[in-house]
Amino acid sequence: MMRRWVWLALVVLAGLALWLLLAGPSKVLGFDPGKLGMVLLVGTAWISLYAVSRLPNGELEAVVSPGEWRAWVGFGFTLVAILYFLSKISVFEYGPAWGNPDASAVARNLVMLLIAWAVLSFVMGSRWKSAVQEDERDRDIEKQASGWGRGALIVVIVGLAVMLGFSPAEKLQWATHFMIANLLVFALMWGWLCEYAATVVYYWRDRRG
Amino acid sequence: MTGTPIGNEIRRWRFERGEMTQEALAQACGVTRQTIIALEAGKYSPSLELAFRIARAFGVGVEEVFRWKTE
Repeated sequence: MMRRWVWLALVVLAGLALWLLLAGPSKVLGFDPGKLGMVLLVGTAWISLYAVSRLPNGELEAVVSPGEWRAWVGFGFTLVAILYFLSKISVFEYGPAWGNPDASAVARNLVMLLIAWAVLSFVMGSRWKSAVQEDERDRDIEKQASGWGRGALIVVIVGLAVMLGFSPAEKLQWATHFMIANLLVFALMWGWLCEYAATVVYYWRDRRG
Repeated sequence: MTGTPIGNEIRRWRFERGEMTQEALAQACGVTRQTIIALEAGKYSPSLELAFRIARAFGVGVEEVFRWKTE
């Protein structure tokens, strides 16, 4: 099992990665530190979850089911993706991805995050390979949580529609077709985030007391 | 998910079946151990199918494991 100082180092590294990714300088010696932040973040997440996956059976399974683990991982990745997306949203004002290197870089990083998420989900899934990974209780929780996700998605879509439909044209200079396309992607991610958050809360409420 | 009207005797039956573990019962019924924990704590009402599976794992009838709390 990993020592406490290793976990502490991973938390510090993850914090540094998030800072580089979301709020760090845009260029250092001609290099984009956001890329380093993304690599650091994916690396620390991978090491952390790999360490968790190597813990002896029984320590984690006693309290947390595979479904809840998946929800936590999904929540973490979606939250980082949304924060990153919002911190860079201004780059989507200027034209489509093929003529906009900044937007291409953001899209590339988001895809990288998605791939890391898929790999980690596979690693986590292999931990419970021989056990039941989902049952009727998990499906019940998923069903309730998906209602929250759907509601959150509807709220954002209606909000966007009202904003675009009722705002005067001079105040919508920023709303290029590329920006609107990306806001719709944001609406999807927001729905997923709310669904994962609701799933985590339902599992937590189930375990409490 | 909390405060279900269905009570159960899963813990007692596990004890009477030679200290059967929650994990063993979960495997016998095809559910996760956390579902058994939630059932024992009265935080989850099983489907009819799961109720029958649990009763069958103990070799008894459903009504010997589950009861309507208000009765």
